[in-house]
Amino acid sequence: MTSFAETEATLAIAADDADRADRRLGLYLTLPAQILVLFIAVFPLLMQLYISLTSWSPLSGRGWWDAWTLWNNFANYLNLAVDARWWSALLRTLLVMAICVPAEFLLGLALAILFMDNFRGKRVFYSILLMPMMVVPAVAGYMFFMLFQSGGPVNNIASAISGHNVAIAWLSNPSLAFIAVAVADIWQWTPLMFLILLAGLLGVPDDQLKAATLLGANWWQRFVTIMLPRMRAIIVIALAIRLIENFKIFDTLYIMTAGGPGTATETISVFIYKLTTNDLSWGYVAAIALVVLISLSVALGIAIARQTKRREAAS
Amino acid sequence: MTKDHRVSRRTFLSTAGSGALLAATIGIAPQFIRPGRAFAADALAPGMIGGPTGFEGAERYQYGPDTPEGRAIEALKELKGAGKAPDKIVLGLSDGSIGQLTQPFPAGAPSIKELFEKETGIALDIVPMPNGQEFTKTMQDISTNAGQFDIYAVEWNRLGDLAETGGIVKMDDFVAAHKPEWDDPERGYVNGAKGVSLLNQYRGSTYGVCLDGDFQTWNYRTDLFGDANEKKAFADKFGYELAPPRTFKQLDEISTFFFRPDQNMLGSTDLRTQGWGYTNWYQRFTSMASPNQFLFADDGTPLITSDAGVAATQEYIDSLKYKSPDAISWSWPEQYGNFGQGGAAMTCAFSNLPKFLDNAGNTGSVITGKVGSFLPPGREIDGGLVRRTVLWFNLSASISAQSKNPEAAYLLLQWLGSSRIYSWMTANPGGYFDPFQLSNFADPLVRQTYHDYHMDVVRESVARTVPSINFAGATAFHSALDENLVASLTGAKTAQQAMADTAASWKQTFDKIGSEKMLEAIKTNKAAWPTVVDPIG
Amino acid sequence: MRRPIAFEVFRYAAIALAVAITLVPIAWMTSMAFKPTAEWQATGANLTWWPKSPTLDNFRFIFGQSSTALIVALERTAAKPILSSLLSAGFGTLIAMGAGTAAAYGLSRFKAGGNLPLALLQLRLFPPMAVMIPVMVMWTFLKLNDTWFGLALIYGIVTLPFAFWLMKTFFDDFPREIEEAALVEGCSRFRVFLKVTLPMMAAPLASSALFVFILNWSDYLIALLLTNREWATIPVYMASLSSSMTGQLYGAKAALGLIAAVPPVIAGIAIQRHLVRGLTFGALKQ
Repeated sequence: MTSFAETEATLAIAADDADRADRRLGLYLTLPAQILVLFIAVFPLLMQLYISLTSWSPLSGRGWWDAWTLWNNFANYLNLAVDARWWSALLRTLLVMAICVPAEFLLGLALAILFMDNFRGKRVFYSILLMPMMVVPAVAGYMFFMLFQSGGPVNNIASAISGHNVAIAWLSNPSLAFIAVAVADIWQWTPLMFLILLAGLLGVPDDQLKAATLLGANWWQRFVTIMLPRMRAIIVIALAIRLIENFKIFDTLYIMTAGGPGTATETISVFIYKLTTNDLSWGYVAAIALVVLISLSVALGIAIARQTKRREAAS
Repeated sequence: MTKDHRVSRRTFLSTAGSGALLAATIGIAPQFIRPGRAFAADALAPGMIGGPTGFEGAERYQYGPDTPEGRAIEALKELKGAGKAPDKIVLGLSDGSIGQLTQPFPAGAPSIKELFEKETGIALDIVPMPNGQEFTKTMQDISTNAGQFDIYAVEWNRLGDLAETGGIVKMDDFVAAHKPEWDDPERGYVNGAKGVSLLNQYRGSTYGVCLDGDFQTWNYRTDLFGDANEKKAFADKFGYELAPPRTFKQLDEISTFFFRPDQNMLGSTDLRTQGWGYTNWYQRFTSMASPNQFLFADDGTPLITSDAGVAATQEYIDSLKYKSPDAISWSWPEQYGNFGQGGAAMTCAFSNLPKFLDNAGNTGSVITGKVGSFLPPGREIDGGLVRRTVLWFNLSASISAQSKNPEAAYLLLQWLGSSRIYSWMTANPGGYFDPFQLSNFADPLVRQTYHDYHMDVVRESVARTVPSINFAGATAFHSALDENLVASLTGAKTAQQAMADTAASWKQTFDKIGSEKMLEAIKTNKAAWPTVVDPIG
Repeated sequence: MRRPIAFEVFRYAAIALAVAITLVPIAWMTSMAFKPTAEWQATGANLTWWPKSPTLDNFRFIFGQSSTALIVALERTAAKPILSSLLSAGFGTLIAMGAGTAAAYGLSRFKAGGNLPLALLQLRLFPPMAVMIPVMVMWTFLKLNDTWFGLALIYGIVTLPFAFWLMKTFFDDFPREIEEAALVEGCSRFRVFLKVTLPMMAAPLASSALFVFILNWSDYLIALLLTNREWATIPVYMASLSSSMTGQLYGAKAALGLIAAVPPVIAGIAIQRHLVRGLTFGALKQ
């Protein structure tokens, strides 16, 4: 009897020791990542917070640490609230997201459905369709800049198809430039949707589909009642990835139009870039950065809270 | 320049070795390019203490002890002797201009960099800055205290902004000590002291040394304008003879006449894109009154919302009709490419366009030998012809306040920016630095590179050049103008709206910088405006 | 499941269209890369999809050989920018994968660093443009500005979230029984991680690394602001490819673009299958 109790106690101590060792190892393993996160978060945030409260700019002739001498009573934040250019850049970014992400999703889903079962040439087509996402976005920018010239290939193809001479100046017209930029984004990122959604479709268990077929469900019914619900998580992830990345859209767009003509394609990142490099109003940029960071964090918090609630409700 | 040394272009291209490649492919001035150095001035001319050797005419770029170049080198040697000179001077320079310092020209010559290093024993470290990002990178260096450069080369009209940051050094003491003679009436800047003040000074002190001459000049195609059929068709249609336009009305009419998109021919390709186009708006606006239509009244009120402002803007918009449909996204590379392919009848560009495109070595150009230059178009007002062009971009070098050896940096600039070395450098086709001093315009080698027909027009254009806004706030003033002009081009705003919005934004900047400073700056700026008015006809 | 013939026709037609649209920009770039100068500017009716006289001049040109048609040799060839891109993206990947893998294992096995998932998500969510000013200040202070390792460091941080999430997914899937067997034999936990787990994860590790490499290789914005003299990367350098003799050097840009596309395309093809698993963060298996 005693031996049993003793053994149990030793085991408990051993487990405790192992636990502690494990915890220490876990700590060490996560340390580098923690340091990197702190490294990129702490100083930048503090500096942004500090200069966002001042009208400091490199043009002021003072170092940033002396920015307090240019304290401006939250003027940056107040100005931001009424800055038409900021609001239109924000709306434009949301518009890009509202156009590109659904388009990429629907096109990707359609392609994925076509690729669900085997057919001749599947592998080759699959590889080709994935190529755009491997092209460096800046390079894609140069390509689309050339493609959308008024005497360029896009109009050339349009002319060949329509039989008329098409010479649209895509990048010189505000709405057309916007379309051109959206087309480039959709071209580049539909493959990612396709890739993920195809994997999702293939992950739907075969037996359920077969059972439904035996019960007389047609393809559309199977799609709506079995496949879509089964793919829910994967669809959420695919959309989330694109929404996050699309919100930051810069490279391709900047090379194609530099936000122009005028401000017709100026998104948040381009707007901030211009403020940083041309206007040099860095205090203002810092205020914008913090507002964006806080809004995103709040949005993220809400999204996570809803997700958790849903998961709890489900279980 | 004896005939013996003439080498036909064909022989020349077939025999050119890689060493002479640059000069060879450029195809400029074959008489300067010789395989050997038989007649080369390998030694300095009598009385000279320094300068390039090894090619014919080198003595023009050599200097005696009593010249700005000579004094600069002597002072540097003295610093070196006293152990006060740096091992190297770091010079940040726009990518496109570096060739003029690093590539030997003409054949047999050393490069500018080699010569400087040989004469002073101080290394010249030239750091490329992406073309168009000079100001951004400079501000980055200043605001982050990076101290990567001794010298920045930035667009001249940012001098006010830079000086206000305290990031660049006031050179007054150095100027007094080493006497650069920039205002020399024979060899120096156009307009003497006034020119120096315009290009190098801000609020009465020297902050920069001009290294460029980006006076916007006009070019046309002599083959098209000389064609008998074209002449007749034009005269029949418009009732006057086809010739380079003297007025904007003529410019617009001739451009419309030549605009033939089906034959890949545009009228005039003066730029309309963001960041570049507004220089052409300047030309149309400032010529609206005699002698000048100013941007600001003496009390600082913007004058651009006037009828003159709206009319100039409307013209500027209307001229899109004889341009490429892509005009709003065309920058100079597209413009140069198109003109070199024979795609336009006229254009307005940097003064180096003929150097690059009317160039036998440029086999990609189909317009070699077919380019002419003309003075800016203007307007007939009160019995005179007011023609104005604009000085814009124009790199000017400043000394970083973080430099450990500002005096050495200054001496390099005095050497580089004085009339002998600069003439030699600007003749070099390897980069974008263009002539701006009287001695440059007269120099045979420069005239060879830039062409006689062009050089005289450039010199006269300089006399008709208005400075763009060059005081503190220049960046903000120009972005506001620029953005609103593009908005008017895309139809997002009317000419009236665009001018009103620009003026509103200008007022804000004006208030931000402070009325006192602004009024003084506007006054200084106006003093540099030209007064030349040409006779009509 | 047998499909009706009409569906097969429709499927091939739709896929053909998608393939065609996918290939247009790539084909144009490829064709441009082999076109001589004279053909770059051809527009409208003169435009050709196939180079009339194909040439390698564009490739020679960006590596410093002067071609008579392009007049001048480049002051800076593409070699250094390619090296810069390789070094910064490569070492950036190393940093991200090193820190990310370790942290992912720590969280997956020992529940350490519970704050990381959210912190890293936020890091990825946030537009880098908005923090570039302090980063420029920091990098200058640390003398990291315009160095390949400075660029590698920021790349490592920016792509750390992906490295972490990808590896966490793989570790979560990794059967613990194998590790426990090794533990019983007396190995320390850390040794098990190094000697048992990691080797067995070689394939997922490699594919995650390649994915992270593609992300780093693709950057334009960060390099635009953090490099200026020595270490400009390919996309930054590409912007400088224009000449006053010929205007935009379209051919040279296309040639360099083609070269820039090679590493990610190869990497991409190699990791297609793992990519899906990683990108779905484990959502697939449920």
